[in-house]
Amino acid sequence: MTFLNFLLLGGMAAAAIPVLLHFFNRSRPRVVQWGAMHLLDAAFQAHTRRLKLEQLLLLLVRCLIPVLLALCMARPVLTGMRALLGGAKSSLVILLDDSYSMSAGAGAASNFAQAKEAAAKLIEQAGSGSDVAVILMGGTPRQLLEAPTLDTVRVTKALAQLEANFGAANFPETLELAANVAAQMQHGLKEFVVLSDFQKASFSDGEAAARGRALQTLKRLPVPPRLTFLHVGTESRDNVAVESLDLPKLALGVNQPLQVRATLRNFGERAWPDLRVFFHADGRERGAQQIALAPGEQRQVLFTHTFDTAGFHTLEVNADADALKADNSLAAVVTVWEKLPALLVNGDPSPEPLKGETDYLDIALSPAMKAATGGSDLILTRVIAPGDLTPDALSKSRVVVLANVRQLADAQVRALAEFVANGGGLLVFPGNRINTDWYHRTLRAAGLLPLPFTALAGGLEDGKPRVKIVVQPFTHPAMELFNDARNGNLADAEMKLWFQLGTRQEQTDPGLGILAQLSTADPFLVEKKNGEGRVLQCAVPCDADWGNLPVRPVFVPLMQRLVIYLASQAQPPRNVEVGKPLAAFVSRAHVGRKAQFTGPDGVRHDAAITGRGALGYVESAKTSRPGTYTLAAPDGGATPFVVSTARAESDLRQLTEPERKTLAQTLHATLLTSVADYQQMDKDRRFGREVWQPLLWAVLALCFCELLLVQWFGRRKGTKT
Amino acid sequence: MAHVSDFLTPAELQKVANLQVVARLVVEGFFSGLHKSPHKGFSVEFAQHRQYVQGDEIRRLDWKVFGKTDRYYIREYEEETNLRATLLLDLSGSMSYAGAGGASKADYAIRLAAALAYLMLQQRDSVGLVTFDAKIRRYIPPRSSVPHLRVLLDELQSAKPGGETALGGVFHDLVPRIQRRGLLIVLSDCFGDSKELLKALAHFRHARHEILIFQILDRDELEFPFTHWTRFESLEQAGAHRMIDPAQFRAAYLDNLKKFQDELTQGCHRHHIDLVQMVTDQPYADALAQYLTRRLARG
Repeated sequence: MTFLNFLLLGGMAAAAIPVLLHFFNRSRPRVVQWGAMHLLDAAFQAHTRRLKLEQLLLLLVRCLIPVLLALCMARPVLTGMRALLGGAKSSLVILLDDSYSMSAGAGAASNFAQAKEAAAKLIEQAGSGSDVAVILMGGTPRQLLEAPTLDTVRVTKALAQLEANFGAANFPETLELAANVAAQMQHGLKEFVVLSDFQKASFSDGEAAARGRALQTLKRLPVPPRLTFLHVGTESRDNVAVESLDLPKLALGVNQPLQVRATLRNFGERAWPDLRVFFHADGRERGAQQIALAPGEQRQVLFTHTFDTAGFHTLEVNADADALKADNSLAAVVTVWEKLPALLVNGDPSPEPLKGETDYLDIALSPAMKAATGGSDLILTRVIAPGDLTPDALSKSRVVVLANVRQLADAQVRALAEFVANGGGLLVFPGNRINTDWYHRTLRAAGLLPLPFTALAGGLEDGKPRVKIVVQPFTHPAMELFNDARNGNLADAEMKLWFQLGTRQEQTDPGLGILAQLSTADPFLVEKKNGEGRVLQCAVPCDADWGNLPVRPVFVPLMQRLVIYLASQAQPPRNVEVGKPLAAFVSRAHVGRKAQFTGPDGVRHDAAITGRGALGYVESAKTSRPGTYTLAAPDGGATPFVVSTARAESDLRQLTEPERKTLAQTLHATLLTSVADYQQMDKDRRFGREVWQPLLWAVLALCFCELLLVQWFGRRKGTKT
Repeated sequence: MAHVSDFLTPAELQKVANLQVVARLVVEGFFSGLHKSPHKGFSVEFAQHRQYVQGDEIRRLDWKVFGKTDRYYIREYEEETNLRATLLLDLSGSMSYAGAGGASKADYAIRLAAALAYLMLQQRDSVGLVTFDAKIRRYIPPRSSVPHLRVLLDELQSAKPGGETALGGVFHDLVPRIQRRGLLIVLSDCFGDSKELLKALAHFRHARHEILIFQILDRDELEFPFTHWTRFESLEQAGAHRMIDPAQFRAAYLDNLKKFQDELTQGCHRHHIDLVQMVTDQPYADALAQYLTRRLARG
């Protein structure tokens, strides 16, 4: 608390006047020789205690009156924490929601425009000497400028040029980032202001734990910041979104039909009786359908298309719907493969049909070619003997399968290790010919065997128990296909003999992934990453000697999924959400040079190519806008990426007022609805609130109280006594 | 029309030191106000006629006898001596209180006693005097002779208030000493234990005495007009005092006073005792009127 007229505080000394008067009067009493002492004594004994209390009360009130009057005239100002921290300067951190739900509304009236205006006002009133940071909540949380700054003009300019992001608001991560940024800011007093539409999807109860962790981070700051929620914008519920695109799980080859299933949802309350949905492939319209979409309804639309060239192709489904355009369309990049070359190293060849180790596998991977149906197979297999596994052969393949190979030469192992490290895939099948010692000593040491072949289990004799693959919800991308029984039932296969893979302790290796298990709880298929590539290891061979898996229908999709999975790992994903980085492998020859990303708005920016194993690696985090991005490698090759908005933002429902209050209470925040409210609150905090008016009322009340007390006490003396 | 008695206020009479003069002024001023001669009053009785001799007052001639006999006769009266009055004068410390008027209650009581004695002796009544505080100081038995007035006035002149009050005890002591029944005139503020006092008065009444009490109070004691912090020091007990803000205690004091008075009044009424409250700024004539009313009622 401070005082505008500090000297007038001296008036508080007037509180002593009633006391002094009391003692002065007592010190110079009149002396009366009195006869009727017995009457006086009786009155004194009966009333002296009550009178003393009354007198004390009156004295207190009379002392308080000059004290409060002096306080009032000194014009006290309540300053809150300012007094503690010794100044009005503060660090202002604005957490600005630029998620695409903020784009609801149009032009100057859009929620985001209102939020920017509010942010500008907050920065303007922050005052000189206060440093400012703006954290954007959409997509991956980031700062508007590279660091907090005292230059508020610069922040305001940057803010004016800011456009709404297309990502989903990530409040907990934004809060974490804000805490980290605030720790670098200058002033002890920190103000966090969250400007948001408080969309339900972004502030759901599901993220309460994450918000709680972020809050703990805030509390760890030397002086915990003051958090204020400022709700901006109005709720608009008129929104239709293309929620998702379901693409085939299997790799797509040239001239193979592609089925794209688009899911559309009407989040609003308006019915769309004739909504037109368009399908585009490589920028050209390839189909259109008209559907009816009732409020709250979700419908799927199926489009089919065939690509006649290998490479990357973009496809897009869009709906001719509401003004919030960002979620009216959804795009994706699909990779169309000419061929996936796979080397099948046959460790147990046989001249008889289907007796060789890789015979079933060869057929399963290229069924069209083997059946001479005239169809096209995606995987181009080549069966070789172990001795033919040379670096040259490896360089022409994406996947290598070791099928019951006894052992390899050390040079071959080195070449294979390099192949995998550079992104190649290796699939290892055991058999009766393998030298387990060599596998454990050499192949495992080279990182090419996830688990040792510990022991054989089961038996080929009749009467021995048979085991099956446990069918359970699979989470691995290579196995997800079999969550749908129509794609084949893994439980159909029976194994007579199998290898137990590793000990229980070895199976708990954090780098190890168990894709599927046998009914004995032994691993059936395990995976381990090595460099940029992956190694899959199976517990049974790929021929029919130890079980009937190769003759079951599920064998074909299973082997194809495994090989395509291994072949696909070489490249990072091409379809990402807004805010997530784009990455690609390029030739190592380009390391040190620059690749160029072109955004959907035509803006280009360079990205450095770094070395990663045998490949060059390029990455760009500038994915704030949805659309197609193109990576141009120095050699002229172009790789498309599709960046999509987070569909969670499409549900434009906002938290209700009580829900916002609850959220604010949970995070110990102050909930406001306008900048004016914040300015008033901040003014009170920063410059203090003048409290002379309530003090004046208090003085008047005390005067009135004194009058009442005197009359009341007087009446009591007149009646009760 | 102004009368002499109008000027005989206690304040004025305070200036006259001689009690006899005071008494005469009071009594004669009182009667002149009544427009009746005291010698034709009810205190004298016709005795006989005698021959007029030179020097007799012409006005005392009996003209009716002159009309019948053509001789001058003078009417002679014989005084009544059937009233024996005793003045009980309280000289305790509390009687020395003097308010703003200047006359203490004791002074007022002494002058009133003198006036009453003068009046009664003028009417040929017997008058006695008892002065007391916590005990009897002096007892002068009733007499009706004229020189007796001097005795009484000398005693009154020398009376000084002081000491504590114990009316009840003193009155009990007096009962055996005043054997012949008569009129007891108490001049006191009656402060003290009212129950003891009423018991003692009842004792007097049991001895067939008539009692007239002049309760003499100061205006201050009735109104308690003090405003500033005051140290009230007891007039009867040395060292006893109360330091108070009188404004705070006024209501309580007045309430106590009222209770005390009510108790006293009801007690007196119960015992057929006349209680007359006199305030020191009140003319003495009022007291004489009360006395004479009482005397008349007695016959």
